[in-house]
Amino acid sequence: MNNYKNIGKNLLRVDGKQKVMGKTKYPQDIYMDDMLYGATLRSTEPHAYFKIDISEAEKLDGVVKILTHRDITGENRHGVLFKDHEVLCKEKVRRIGDPIAFVIAESPKKAKEAKKLIKIQYEKISAVFDPKEAMKENAPKIHDDSNIVYHYKCRKGNVEKGFKKCDVIVEREYKTSMVDHAFLQPESGLSYMEEDGTLVICAATQYPHFDQIEIADALGLPKERIKIINPAVGGAFGGREDITMQIHIGLGALLTGRPVKVCYDREESFYAHSKRHPLYMKYKTGADRTGKLIALEAEIIGDTGAYASWAVNVLRKSGVHATGPYEIDNVKIDSYAVYTNNPFCGAMRGFGATQIPVACEQQMDIIAEKLGISPVEIRLRNCFRKNSVTATGQVLVESVPLDKCIRIVSKRLFAESEMVWG
Amino acid sequence: MINIKLNVNGKDYDLEIEEDLRLIDLLRDRLGFTGTKEGCGEGECGACTVILEGKTVNSCLLLAIQAHGKEITTIEGIGKEDDLHPIQESFLENGAVQCGYCIPGMVLSAKALLDKNKNPTRKDIREAISGNLCRCTGYEKIVDSIEKASKILQQRGSESHEQL
Ligand code: FES
Ligand code: FES
Repeated sequence: MNNYKNIGKNLLRVDGKQKVMGKTKYPQDIYMDDMLYGATLRSTEPHAYFKIDISEAEKLDGVVKILTHRDITGENRHGVLFKDHEVLCKEKVRRIGDPIAFVIAESPKKAKEAKKLIKIQYEKISAVFDPKEAMKENAPKIHDDSNIVYHYKCRKGNVEKGFKKCDVIVEREYKTSMVDHAFLQPESGLSYMEEDGTLVICAATQYPHFDQIEIADALGLPKERIKIINPAVGGAFGGREDITMQIHIGLGALLTGRPVKVCYDREESFYAHSKRHPLYMKYKTGADRTGKLIALEAEIIGDTGAYASWAVNVLRKSGVHATGPYEIDNVKIDSYAVYTNNPFCGAMRGFGATQIPVACEQQMDIIAEKLGISPVEIRLRNCFRKNSVTATGQVLVESVPLDKCIRIVSKRLFAESEMVWG
Repeated sequence: MINIKLNVNGKDYDLEIEEDLRLIDLLRDRLGFTGTKEGCGEGECGACTVILEGKTVNSCLLLAIQAHGKEITTIEGIGKEDDLHPIQESFLENGAVQCGYCIPGMVLSAKALLDKNKNPTRKDIREAISGNLCRCTGYEKIVDSIEKASKILQQRGSESHEQL
């Protein structure tokens, strides 16, 4: 190890000193002369058509501009995979929290005050909150003609024949919940024009290069005129992969010619960014009497809420990981991503793989119990090893020390539990 | 508008402020102490922690006027670029810092603890930072760092004692 410059050494992080001194600049901490403040008006209905009246709010002293969909200089849309978000909703809202207007004023207080004077008239339409309901033909449609965003299929062997050979079959349904990243620094951003006409957007983001393209399209500007500055990011965990305030402040600076800053509070942060997909998982798992897994059939439905974000990639990953780290010869997996009127879901730590163990590991425990073998034993019997073939046909040729890991963990775990209770 | 006098990091200020201004906004927007962070605005996360007359407070829950006549320490009042406080040094060396947004509050809570209790147990440390949320690190290294800092401070204390 000693020959390496960095590996094996205790290195100080380059940004650490500034952070312990409180000198690091997050977007909130950037101030400019003559800057204006933004506040976002968001929908309070999950599914509705609406009419907006900003006439009274506009008259309030200190209000500089109120942006609605009419002010958008390019395409009123964005989204990492599908352009299914509107920058500011035109006539329909699809979830509570959809942005409708962006008030720009001389102070944060004025912006908030003006927000209250905007009148929204909703015409509610039927909504759907359960992804299984949303998959039905006659369900209310969130976007176009189907709520099913994506269907991933994985087939290996023959599950029907496989289940016939099983001594034990366990069928259960599982559900996980929606989760927020709750990064500690709520979304904030500052945008301003440079003298040569370049529009600068400072925002904590996970995708400066994607943001640049999305902002350019929405504002109708060439990419070269958009500069993204990514100051310190106060945690992200996947929650800063989608656009939140970037286009609003960019448009604000472009149209007013003055710097525009926005700081979300914690509550607005919850409304603004994506969540972890809640999954509905229906599992049927079969094994022979020694505990060797023979067949697995799984249906996984992910609620992506009103927008797709990374739903396709997330639900693909859920499908790919549905067997857990176990080798099974006969597999049939179907995973779906479905629109509903819930908060939208996207990337979050694990990206669809995190939810799966709730189902697949519980199945392992139940099978072990039915066969009267230990939970450790059933895992050792089935876990991936070198040269195992996964459900997708991948041959694991590199190091796969899972059995070793299980042995070490179980040894420590049981030794310790004996210490505590024994 | 109302007048307020206070001392921040050893410097006196005499200001005219709006009656409903929060202490955090005074510190950040008026005085430029942006090391004081806002994470929740409702007393849950501790990112806005400052030391007021020796005690930690959530500056998002106080009106600026409540600090009238008082002494406040913010993160900017702890350590210098070429002379970090042992708590800061220890956070840095033990990898307790990730995104950094909770860190000013953590350092100040640790400082308030070590000012009063030279030799805290790990439980004391956990108690002292129980009002500070960190979403990134998992706390273990933060507790380690505060423990190490207390050792460094004790050692320095006994050394300077010997010199006397
Ligand atoms: S911002 Fe004050 S406790 Fe969270
Ligand atoms: S280091 Fe990110 S919240 Fe603590």
